[in-house]
Amino acid sequence: MNGAEWQLVGFSLRMALASLVLVFPIGLGLAWWLARKHWPGKALVETLVSLPLVLPPVVTGLVLLQLFGRRSGVGNWLHHTFNCDVVFTWRAVALALAAMSLPLFVRAARTAFEEVDVKFEQLARTLGAGEWRVFFTITLPLAKRGVLAGTLLAFARALGEFGATIMVAGNIPGRTTTLPVAIYQAVENGEDAHAWLLAGVSAGIAFAAVFTSERIMRRRK
Amino acid sequence: MKLTCQILITAILALAATVGQAATVTVFAAASLTDALKQIAADYETSSGDKIVFNFAASGTLSRQIEAGAPADIFFAADETKADALEKKGLLVSRTRKSLLGNSLVIVTSAEAAAIHAPAELTNAVIQHIALGEVQTVPCGTYAKAYLERMSLWPAVESKVVPCASVRAVLAAVESGNVDAGFVYVTDAAISKKVKVAFAVPAADAPRISYPLALLQDAPQPAAAKKFLAYLDSSAATAVFKQLGFLVFSSLPSQ
Amino acid sequence: MNPPILIANFRKQFPGGPEIVADDLRIRGGITVLFGASGSGKTTILRCLAGLERPEKGTIRFGQDNWFDAGLNHFQPPRKRRIGFVPQDYALFPHLSVTRNVSYGLQGLPAAERASCVAETLRWLGLDGLEHRLPCELSGGQQQRAALARAMVCRPKLLLLDEPLAALDTPTRLRLRGELRQLLRRFGLPTILVTHDRQEALAFGDDVVVLHDGRNVQQGAASEVFNRPVNLAVAEITAVETIQPGRLLEIHDGLATVAVGNVRLVALAEDLPADACEVYVCIRAEGVILVRADLVQSSPRNRLPGTVRAMAREGPLVRVNLDCGFPLTALLTQLACDELALDKGVHLVALVKAQLVHLIPFAR
Repeated sequence: MNGAEWQLVGFSLRMALASLVLVFPIGLGLAWWLARKHWPGKALVETLVSLPLVLPPVVTGLVLLQLFGRRSGVGNWLHHTFNCDVVFTWRAVALALAAMSLPLFVRAARTAFEEVDVKFEQLARTLGAGEWRVFFTITLPLAKRGVLAGTLLAFARALGEFGATIMVAGNIPGRTTTLPVAIYQAVENGEDAHAWLLAGVSAGIAFAAVFTSERIMRRRK
Repeated sequence: MKLTCQILITAILALAATVGQAATVTVFAAASLTDALKQIAADYETSSGDKIVFNFAASGTLSRQIEAGAPADIFFAADETKADALEKKGLLVSRTRKSLLGNSLVIVTSAEAAAIHAPAELTNAVIQHIALGEVQTVPCGTYAKAYLERMSLWPAVESKVVPCASVRAVLAAVESGNVDAGFVYVTDAAISKKVKVAFAVPAADAPRISYPLALLQDAPQPAAAKKFLAYLDSSAATAVFKQLGFLVFSSLPSQ
Repeated sequence: MNPPILIANFRKQFPGGPEIVADDLRIRGGITVLFGASGSGKTTILRCLAGLERPEKGTIRFGQDNWFDAGLNHFQPPRKRRIGFVPQDYALFPHLSVTRNVSYGLQGLPAAERASCVAETLRWLGLDGLEHRLPCELSGGQQQRAALARAMVCRPKLLLLDEPLAALDTPTRLRLRGELRQLLRRFGLPTILVTHDRQEALAFGDDVVVLHDGRNVQQGAASEVFNRPVNLAVAEITAVETIQPGRLLEIHDGLATVAVGNVRLVALAEDLPADACEVYVCIRAEGVILVRADLVQSSPRNRLPGTVRAMAREGPLVRVNLDCGFPLTALLTQLACDELALDKGVHLVALVKAQLVHLIPFAR
C-alpha cells in the first residue's frame, strides 16, 4: 500500500470518527427517550429512526441533498450566513455516515438502557440526583457495554457507507473519497488489483469492529 | 378443452411469428447522446419494426461493462480511446467502426453563480466548486482536463474540481446550484434551461472530440444491429444530430 | 402525644389491580411500623410517600411542605423531599464501591466534609474496612447496612425502610433486628418501617399502622393495636390467637359479661356502643395462665376449666390448644409445661384477666 492509499484509509477513519461525534449525543438522547418515555405516536418515531436501515441508502442521500444543498433548507442558510458549504465537502461525508449509522446505534443503546433496572434510577432520585445526574452516573455507566457495542457497530457501518455518501458528497479524491467510493471508482477505471486491495483493508477493519462488538455483547452480565 | 387447445395453439403461433420478425437491438451510448439517440430511435422503430434499447452512461463505464460481458450490440462512445481499448481486446468488429460525430466544450454556470467571461476566471475565489466528468471514465472530463492543462489553469483549479459520473451528472450538478461552474458539451448545454453558457471553448484550444461508433463482436442481434448502424449514418439521423448541435463528419464506411 | 409530622390522605389505583388508600394516615416522630400481610398495600403507600409513585387523588403534607396535592396538580419529586429510602432488595448501585454508594447523596458538600461524613457513618454501621468493596462482594447483612448508611448519611427528614430484614436468612435476621433497632434509635430520625412480621412490628414500632386490603385500618401504640384490635380484620392480622363470637349479656360497673357458647366471660366494657349485642371475643395467648389445681381465690375474673387438646413447640415456647367450652390458645414456656406435666387430655384451669379479654362489636 502506498502513501495515497494510506491517506485514503486515514481519511475514511477520520470521517467515521467525525460521524460518531454527531451520532453519539443524538443517538444517546433518542435511545434514552425511546427506552424510558411513552407517549402517543412513539411508534412513529421508532419507525422514522429505523428507516435508514431499510431504505435504499441513495434515498437517504437524496433527502440529505435536499436538506443541505445550497438552494434549500439548512444548506441555504449555512451558505448565506457562514459561506459554508456542506454538499461536496467532508461535512457531507460525515453527515451521510452519521445518518446511515444512527439507527444501528440507537437500537443497541436503547436495548442497553432498557436493561438497566429503573429501581437504581429511582433510588438515585431519592438521594437528590436530578435527571442529568441520574443519566450520567447511573443509567449510562450501567448500560456502557451495550452502548460501546453499538458505537462499534455504528463505526463499522459508517466505514462501509456508500450510497448516501456518493450522492451528497461525490467522489473528490483527497477530500470526499472514502474507502467504499474509492473501491467503486477503481472498478470503474478497470483497476481491479487496486480495488481488491482496498476491499481487503475495508473488510479487515469491518471484521475487527464487528468481532469486538460481539465479544463485548457476550460478556455482559 | 378443445377451445382451450385452439386458443393456446393460436397464441404460440402468433408468438413465433413476432419472434421471427422484430428484433431488439441494445445500444451502449455516451450520456451526451441521450436526447439525440432517443429521438432517432423513435423514428427508426416506427419504420423498421425493430426495437432499440439504450444504456446511457459515461463511455468509460460502458466499456468496462462490455469488457465484463454485458450483452450489447452497438457501442457509441464519446472518446476514441475507449473504442481503441475494446478493439485491442477484440471486442469490436473493426471494419464496422467509424467516427460519426464531433462536439465542442462549453463552460456553464449555475443561475446564481457569478458570471464568467474567460476560463482564467475559474481561478477566482468566488468560484468554489467546478464540476467535471471523472477524468478517467468520462470523456468530457478527459477533454476538459486536457484543455485546462493546455491553458495552464489545471494546477490552480484542481482543488476545486468535483468529479461526476457522467456529463449529464455534471449538468445536473450545475443546474442544482451546488457547484458554481462545470464543463459540458455544447449539445448538453442546449437542452438545459437552467444553466447559462459562460464561455465556449474554441476548437483550436480544445482537444479533438470524436464519437466512434461500432458493432460489437458478441452482439446478440448482429443483423438488426447492422441495419441500425446504417440508419445512424442516414440523412434522417444526421439531420437530428445537426439540429441538436453535433458536428457530423462525412462518414467513410469501410464496409 | 407529639403532633404528626406527616399527614397523608390519598388513593392510588393500579390499572387492573387493587386500590390503595391512605385514610388520614398520621405519622409522628420516632419509628412507625406499617404492618400488614403481603399484598396489603404497605410498599405502595411507602413508595407514594417517597414520591416514587404518584397517587391519583388526595394530599400528602410533611410539616410545612406540600408533597402532593391532586387538586392543585402539585407533585414534589423525590429528590426535593429529602427522604432516605431503602427498598427490600437494597438497590445498591452495582457499579460503585461502598464509599461511592454511601456518598452519592452528599454531592452538595465539599469533598473533605463529604469524606468525613461517609467515614463516620460507615464506622457507626460497622462497615469500616469495606470501603472499596463492590455490593456484589458484600454479605446480605453488610449490604443492608450499606443501604442504610447511604440513606442515613444525608440526614434525611424521614427514613423509609421497606421490609429491611426480609431479604436476610433467619439467624442473620434475628441478630440484626436488635442491632437495627439500636441504630435507628441512636440516629433518632423519624422512620417509617414496613413489615409483615409481627415480632418485628412489636420490636421496632413506637407506633403501628395496621393495613388491610390496601387501606390503613388502625393506628396507635404497639400495645394498643395488638391488645385492642379495633375490628376482626386487625385482630386476624395481628394474629390474636383466640377469636370467638359471643353474645353480650350485660354491662355493669364498667365490666361486660359475654357468653361464648355456654361459658361466661368477664371483660372491660371500654367503649362498647350501648346497642351492641353480638361481639367477637379476642384473647391473646400470652395473657392466658394455666393452673393444675383450682385455687381457692385468685384475682383473674375468668376461671375457665378445660382440657388440653393439642400442644406444639415453637422454639423455647409451647402453644397449647385447650377446649374450655370454646377453643382457647395459651403460650407457655417449655419449662412451665414440664413442671405442670402437660399432655393431651390433661384437665386444668385457664385464668384470664378481664383486662386481657378484648371485645370487638360485630360488623365494625
